[in-house]
Amino acid sequence: MDFDALFSGLDRHTLDGITRGSIYALVALGYTMVYGVMKLINFAHSEVFMVGTWAVLGVYTALGVSAGAGLAVVIGATLLALLAAMLASAGTALAVERIAYRPLRKKGAPPLIFLITGIGCSIVLVEIFGQVFKVFFGAPFGRVTVNIPSVLQTKELFTIPGLDLTITNTRVIIIVGAIVMMLALDTFVNKSRLGRGVRAVAQDPDTASLMGVNRERVIMLVFILGGAMAGVAALLYTIQYDITKFDIGFIIGLKAFTAAVLGGIGNLRGALVGGLLLGIAEVYASTIWSSEWANVTAFVVLVVILMFRPTGLLGESLGKARA
Amino acid sequence: MIRSSKTWQAVALTAVAGLALSACGTTDTDGGGGDASADECNFKIGVMGALSGANASIVLPSVDGAELALTQWENDECEVTLEKFDTEGDPAKATPVATQIAGDETFIGVIGGAFSGETRATKSIYNDAGVTMISQSATATDLTQEDPVEVFHRVVPYDDYQGAAIAKYLTDELGASQVFVVDNSEAYGEPLADRVEETLGDAMVQRDKTEVGQTDFAPTISKMESAEPDAVFYGGYIAEAAPLLKQMRDAGIDAPFIGGDGLYGADFGNAVGDAGEGAVVMCPCAPIEGDSTFAADYEAEFGAAPGAYAAEGYDVMSVFLAALDDGARTREDVEAFVDGYSGEGLSKTIAFDENGDVPQDAVSYWAYKNEGGTLVPEVEVAP
Amino acid sequence: MSQILDAYRGLKLRDRMSGAPGWVRKVGMLLVIAFAFYLPFLNILPFAYIRTDLTSSGSDWASVLFLVVVYMIVAVGLNVVIGFAGLLDLGYVGFYALGAYSVALFGSPSSPVVEAIQNRFGLDETWAVPFVMCIPIAIVMALIAGVTLGAPTLRLRGDYLAIVTLGFGEIIRITARNLDNVTNGATGISGVPVPPGPEIDGRSFFNTIDAERWYWLALSILILIIFLAFRLEHSRVGRAWLAIREDEDAAAIMGVAAFKFKLWAFAIGASVGGIAGLLFGSKQQYVEPNAFMVNLSFLFVAMVVIGGSGNIYGVLLGAFLLTYLPERFREFQEWRPFAFGVALVVVMILRPQGLVPSRRRAREFEDRKVEAEEAAADA
Repeated sequence: MDFDALFSGLDRHTLDGITRGSIYALVALGYTMVYGVMKLINFAHSEVFMVGTWAVLGVYTALGVSAGAGLAVVIGATLLALLAAMLASAGTALAVERIAYRPLRKKGAPPLIFLITGIGCSIVLVEIFGQVFKVFFGAPFGRVTVNIPSVLQTKELFTIPGLDLTITNTRVIIIVGAIVMMLALDTFVNKSRLGRGVRAVAQDPDTASLMGVNRERVIMLVFILGGAMAGVAALLYTIQYDITKFDIGFIIGLKAFTAAVLGGIGNLRGALVGGLLLGIAEVYASTIWSSEWANVTAFVVLVVILMFRPTGLLGESLGKARA
Repeated sequence: MIRSSKTWQAVALTAVAGLALSACGTTDTDGGGGDASADECNFKIGVMGALSGANASIVLPSVDGAELALTQWENDECEVTLEKFDTEGDPAKATPVATQIAGDETFIGVIGGAFSGETRATKSIYNDAGVTMISQSATATDLTQEDPVEVFHRVVPYDDYQGAAIAKYLTDELGASQVFVVDNSEAYGEPLADRVEETLGDAMVQRDKTEVGQTDFAPTISKMESAEPDAVFYGGYIAEAAPLLKQMRDAGIDAPFIGGDGLYGADFGNAVGDAGEGAVVMCPCAPIEGDSTFAADYEAEFGAAPGAYAAEGYDVMSVFLAALDDGARTREDVEAFVDGYSGEGLSKTIAFDENGDVPQDAVSYWAYKNEGGTLVPEVEVAP
Repeated sequence: MSQILDAYRGLKLRDRMSGAPGWVRKVGMLLVIAFAFYLPFLNILPFAYIRTDLTSSGSDWASVLFLVVVYMIVAVGLNVVIGFAGLLDLGYVGFYALGAYSVALFGSPSSPVVEAIQNRFGLDETWAVPFVMCIPIAIVMALIAGVTLGAPTLRLRGDYLAIVTLGFGEIIRITARNLDNVTNGATGISGVPVPPGPEIDGRSFFNTIDAERWYWLALSILILIIFLAFRLEHSRVGRAWLAIREDEDAAAIMGVAAFKFKLWAFAIGASVGGIAGLLFGSKQQYVEPNAFMVNLSFLFVAMVVIGGSGNIYGVLLGAFLLTYLPERFREFQEWRPFAFGVALVVVMILRPQGLVPSRRRAREFEDRKVEAEEAAADA
């Protein structure tokens, strides 16, 4: 145990934790929105994220950009990759909804069944990239790790005096990007007409449909929004880590789901709080001991918090998300 | 609804009669194999490992390598088929496979287990049945040193040797005196890093443990920043090495990066990208001679450059095929032949000592440097 | 498909069986059991096509049967938690791991725990806790874990419980991997003891080659556990679970101590999982943390749900299919996980109530379906 290492660089570790947690939080939004509206854990959401990272790779490969391109090219390629990742992820989320959830909803199946079809979809998506595409298209698909060119190269922007913190451009993009997307989504759900429909269905589906809200539409919207957020997370992930692989979704998904529950599942701001808290807790634990204990710490934090606040830090319910 | 006892008695009688009658037709369940009579040479060789799942990329090239050896084999007398058994690297799935191979006499040898866990779980089964195993990639020390069995052989040196060689490269070739050692907490990376640490002694500045599946290494990076190492050793696989390297370089840590044979493979350069330029992979495998057509043949056959342990897979298959060339026709013959085998392989000179290991002096350790996405042999290291 | 199902329904096997005289039911049951014991030697056409070792890349039939039965035990245990009490447990693999690790830690002469005991009491190097003693240890360890996990978390609502149990499963695996001084870490523990038995041909009765003996042992335990599970379902505890599952608030008002009974379900489920893990570890004679990945928990839940949660015959079928089919169709190799995923989705969409649903559940399901249709019509 090395508490000195933690306290001597507390600012640095906190920043590391926030960076890590930002990506968790963005993915957590997908879990939380779907849960808020349908009371359902979308187990395939981790793969929705994974598909996004492949879309980023696809755009970069198609454009033929690589590290060290000019500023205009970098910005253009990154924005295009963002768009592609959001579209691909949203599309995947929608497809999962259509194939695995809608038929069950029509039959009024209990929640446990949705869980199994979600797991099934997750396996199918993983295998599509690990096996099916490999057989049909060959490299880069398959069960190997694939590099995504660092189109956006890490550069030091400035150092914060007195804190010994070096701020890099990738860090700024990840943290600011995540927070901006969250605020945008939060505003959308709280202020717009469509968002009101989402909240109405989350609060009381029956009354909402009596008031003329189309529940099916709202569900589609929720999957699209959650998927798009996972797409943003996918781009940020590739900027930070430079890789993709057929099975990277699993662990991120697990953490994001934990983050969503931690903050209060169904609560958009809860996802942000949960994600950041989880990221920080993991980095602290990895510094005190080592990364092999990070996951244990994450789950212990979850259990302890749920013991004292049984519905998560900010409480659940998308419907009451104004608080 | 049937309620009367009489009807039920009739049902029971019919059932018994039906069973008795159908007993007349039986099927052959000895694995569908033909008779392995002495004059006929028709055998099977099993290969057992993770052919699907997350770790398949470390295993599949060696299976392809073995298949290539079989395709290139010229022998009019014998018919050999390579049977692939997917264990997903899971010992629980490997035991039924091993029992099956053990029970089918037409199997004269097994390539594998690819990982140490499944090998531990199955070697006593093969030993009981007398099936010769030659592993292309299981490197755990205990397999041959603490708990050896008669039938187990391997063409890769075990973790203890590898760790010593890597430490020697770090101190002698690089002149490092402050090495930062990272492992992946798994059965492959941890013992290797332990041995590197042991051999390095004071030359190691700090040790950190990470996890398989981890992509964010920020805590490790900040430990590195304060330790200021002059070299970094990573015991683990490619999937985690790629993001680790990228984050190291992003943080401005320029110390040389050295990995074990878990990183060796054609996909290393493709995974690490620009950040991996100059990274060194230590492998107990000699560079394939310039006049060998292995790499070209492999690429022509499977559409990709030979990956991790592809040459080892080829070598193992070649040993079994040489046994058949030599006239071995039973499991005992094969075991005896393999025990006394000595010959030039693609990866190294192949021979087995009494524990089933390649003799230490037959193994050459090579440092490969990643230059422009390919691993180029840099220097040979004698431990 | 539906025609076959209709034909099957037309036979009304269930009604006939329950309406049959007592001796018929007993004889039928005995025949089924006898047939199960005979399965490893099943060699009669056309039934023998179910064997997994017909192709040369197949796997040993008796070993597969053993694994099937171990997973059946798991499914029956998990069914107590999910099917009877209605609690979603995504960390069941944790109890399974604890069972396996108990027999390894205390029964293997090479485990660090046994070595510590040897040194402390100056015992011989080959000494270890006898296998028979490991059984209660495994059950008690799993039971304690079940209660410790359940006591603080069972007050949580369903979906929160899911993630907490999932975390618990991971905590068990990671801790086993990290505590090198206790569990040998990632290397695992070999030399796990086997049940005592007479020596045959110079080998112990339970050895690595004759898998059918392991299968018979596991089958006997399975039959015992099924019997107990049936008794449990129709006991006071079983009825209490039913009440909690249907409506916890209503049950509480009627005086059912929900928390107590949920904890019971958790503890019982955990100890059954421990027994399954013990059998697995002992047959394997080697235990390592990577054998207990979280995916296995998902597989267990899938067995229960596909088969028909709440119905013991259903979950047995689910466990059989999900373990057996991938082994039977080994020739498809890398395509099996893909096919598995597709099958999960397709089966659940076609039969959301499970393959063999419990009667009560099927009726609940019909109600919900009507409600869903009405809701759709309203909208």
